[in-house]
Amino acid sequence: MSSTLPNSPLTTYVLNTGDGAPGARMALSLHRLDSLLVIWNLVTVGTTDEDGRCPGLITTKAFTPGMYKMRFETGQYWESLGQNSFYPYVEIVFTITNPNERFHLPLLLSRFSYSTYRGS
Amino acid sequence: MTLKAAHMSTSRLQHIKDYFLGGEYTSAEMAAPYCPLTTHVLNTGMGVPGAHVALSLHRMDPSTSLWNLLTTGTTNDDGRCPGLITRENITPAVYKMRFETGQYWGSLGESSFYPYVEIIFTITVHSQKFHVPLLCSRFSYTTYRGS
Repeated sequence: MSSTLPNSPLTTYVLNTGDGAPGARMALSLHRLDSLLVIWNLVTVGTTDEDGRCPGLITTKAFTPGMYKMRFETGQYWESLGQNSFYPYVEIVFTITNPNERFHLPLLLSRFSYSTYRGS
Repeated sequence: MTLKAAHMSTSRLQHIKDYFLGGEYTSAEMAAPYCPLTTHVLNTGMGVPGAHVALSLHRMDPSTSLWNLLTTGTTNDDGRCPGLITRENITPAVYKMRFETGQYWGSLGESSFYPYVEIIFTITVHSQKFHVPLLCSRFSYTTYRGS
């Protein structure tokens, strides 16, 4: 998959821990909180690739300090595999104070559990 | 048996009868055994219960897609919050549990990557019990469906 943004300062990785496979072709979206209006602005929509990754989430220039939300369409994902799930979607809200660092936001997911952590 | 003891026995029996017939209770401790939805917050960073964490339970209104606030609470010293919802109120729907984790870490004098955690889940069979724990540190969290 070609990308004009090979060095997005924010990356993600979805792992289907139930099946021991990457969470491929999962729709996701990145949002930034407008602190004045207190509403979420959509920054990027994307879909994970065969490896469960989604390059080019955001440019360094656009990656300003603030509160962000990554939403993963996990319910749709499990449905596409013919299964149900406890969670219709997963939203992870996080704060970026120093945008010069690199942030890795993985999602380890099964039908009945999920985990995330801050990586780099 | 004395009159007082007999009275106490009768009242105890009535109490047990009410318990099985679903009588009304006011105290959270009485409601807890019936509570079909429970949570448990664990501070995995420090290896202690997540005590005094503010939380709230919401239900999505399917016609408006808006969240209706059902319960607010705070975890106790053990990281638990009894009495979140009654069996009658846990109708099939999409629910959200929000944990004020940022406030929690702030009260410990620490920062955290996550200002709060929201876990959205679907209840389809309201006769089951659902346990929605949150294991969290400053830079990670995990949840799973328990019973």
